[in-house]
Amino acid sequence: MSGHAVLRGEGLTIRFGGLVAMDGVDFVLQAGEILGVIGPNGAGKSTLFNLITGLYQPTAGKVFLNDRPLNGLPAHRIVQMGISRTFQSSRLFTDLSVLDNVIIGMHCRTQSGVFDAMLRPSKARGELRQAAAKAGELLRSVSAGLYDQRGRAASELAQADRRRLEIARALAAEPKVLLLDEPSSGMDDRDTDALIADVRAIIARRPELSIMIIEHDMRLVAELPHRVMVIEYGRKIAEGSFADIRNMPRVQEAYLGRKATAHA
Amino acid sequence: MRPTFSDITIVIALELIGAILLRFFLLADDWRIVGGILLLFCAGFAVMQFRSDWESRIGDAFNRGTRLAVGLAILLVLLFPLALNGNTYALHLLIVSQLYAVLAIALNFQLGSANIPNFATGASYGIGAYVSALLAIHFNVNFWLALPAAAVAATAFGFLLGVPSMRTRESYLALVTIAFGVVIHQLLNNFDWTGGPNGLVGIPAPSLFGHSFASPIVIGGIKLPSQANFYYLSAVLVGIAIISAQRLHGSRIGLAWNALRADELAARCQGINVIWYKVLAFAVDAFLAAFAGTIYAFYISFISPDNFTFLVSVTIMTMVIVGGMDNIFGVIVGAFLLTMLPEKLRAFSDYRILFFGIVVILFLMIRPEGLFPQRLRRYGGSE
Ligand SMILES: Nc1ncnc2c1ncn2[C@@H]1O[C@H](COP(=O)(O)OP(=O)(O)O)[C@@H](O)[C@H]1O
Ligand SMILES: [Mg+2]
Repeated sequence: MSGHAVLRGEGLTIRFGGLVAMDGVDFVLQAGEILGVIGPNGAGKSTLFNLITGLYQPTAGKVFLNDRPLNGLPAHRIVQMGISRTFQSSRLFTDLSVLDNVIIGMHCRTQSGVFDAMLRPSKARGELRQAAAKAGELLRSVSAGLYDQRGRAASELAQADRRRLEIARALAAEPKVLLLDEPSSGMDDRDTDALIADVRAIIARRPELSIMIIEHDMRLVAELPHRVMVIEYGRKIAEGSFADIRNMPRVQEAYLGRKATAHA
Repeated sequence: MRPTFSDITIVIALELIGAILLRFFLLADDWRIVGGILLLFCAGFAVMQFRSDWESRIGDAFNRGTRLAVGLAILLVLLFPLALNGNTYALHLLIVSQLYAVLAIALNFQLGSANIPNFATGASYGIGAYVSALLAIHFNVNFWLALPAAAVAATAFGFLLGVPSMRTRESYLALVTIAFGVVIHQLLNNFDWTGGPNGLVGIPAPSLFGHSFASPIVIGGIKLPSQANFYYLSAVLVGIAIISAQRLHGSRIGLAWNALRADELAARCQGINVIWYKVLAFAVDAFLAAFAGTIYAFYISFISPDNFTFLVSVTIMTMVIVGGMDNIFGVIVGAFLLTMLPEKLRAFSDYRILFFGIVVILFLMIRPEGLFPQRLRRYGGSE
């Protein structure tokens, strides 16, 4: 961790009608850091990602990427600036091939426009072929199994591979910041272990990459993040190392509360 | 990869059978022959439906033997008029079918690639026809210059039409495009300078290197009726449309359209400027449609607002749905079928709209991907 803030949120607030889904949240993500985000269902974790990625505009507060404000920028510009994400319920381009999903992830790192495509097809096609080769390499580095399935439609993948593909697609944009929204949801213990190994392999290759990861699986939260922040009812209620926050009464309360409702 | 002997056989056999069936279909007067050929066609697809291994075998043959397939197809298109016994009505049907094929390819960028409904392709077609006709009649602009001018005008209209797509959701967008189409039709009907409901007459035939398109083609003792000029012209346009479609489909733009079709929100989060790509799809659609409109105007030499109604747009939409979303060959087949069938089954012409309705419903139920479904992209070497 090289210690300068890559991504910063200040007083992030968003209201949906009467509901305050996010209420004055501050956070800082350092270069090379993995920040865990935990909290009960409906706490506002995904909303935080939606605010960062420009899908929602905050009612108040600001997001900065390397001290540049992101407010008001459309989602596709924010990706270009270096923030990629995955979704809680995976959102792949299911009727396209695995490889095409990754190539589309490179959209903001490729150039060809309509005129190139129509009038200079060798240039446009060459660029796409290069992208395909790069996408193949990326897939191979994320998972050999996924690479072998690159010609299949994304809809035919198993659940764990869909998650992997979504991460590969997000990495294709060469992000500075990667946001993972519950990557282990729908996975069994073995898949979760594999996921932890995958994320480790990814950061080993990209020491500068900063990651925010929303998780419910406490094993993963214990292993991966350097730091964890806890959100409840749209507010940040705790922050620190996992060892510190797990014993805080407020956190335990929030979590026991969640478990109680989840089992009801 | 080199085609094998059986690949070559499959490609040649299928293309020849297709051409021969098309010839008999075009020349048939008796509805029983028409029905028989249709039954054969349906039987072919029923077999495909149940033997998907045959379907993929044929696909592979055409993939490996692309050069042969394209070369033979061009040869067949060139020679086809010779096999029509000088039947001008058959040639006319082919010209109209080819123009509709271009319109269907144009709409396919939106409906097929990006899943944006557009009920105004007929209007872009009309704008192309009117702009070029007005230029020719009032300013003596020749066909070859009127063609790009019409395309520019229609593309501007396409951008205008695309603007509401920035704010409107899909189902409302369909309504917006319907409204645009109706407005254009009404304007053409009510302006004086467009000739009102009477339209424009006396659009001069184009000529190329001194050869007027109104005169027959004579080469080495063989004489083809004057329609053959427009047959070849529209064939060239189909070729241009196919090449443009393939280039766009095989580029980053085609991928972006497919991405926003599959999941618009996820597409935005991959850095795709969804609004721009939607507007672009409208513009490309209008651009190609204007080419078809221009050729139509100069071919018939008379146009009126009724050539460009809402029903025309619906017909084009049906062609794309029947032929196969995002499959270029498929939409061409759809266009040919749906242009020729109503003509061949004149006896039932009162039921034309009913016919389109039933066809669409049947397809959405039985083969929702259309006759020829889209195929996954392949990149060199990766199998
Ligand atoms: N677009 C929206 N419109 C209205 N309410 C929303 C919207 N997005 C999220 N919410 C609400 O905000 C709260 C937080 O949701 P979310 O961020 O998805 O929770 P989680 O922490 O489980 O990811 C929930 O009550 C949810 O219903
Ligand atoms: Mg969530």
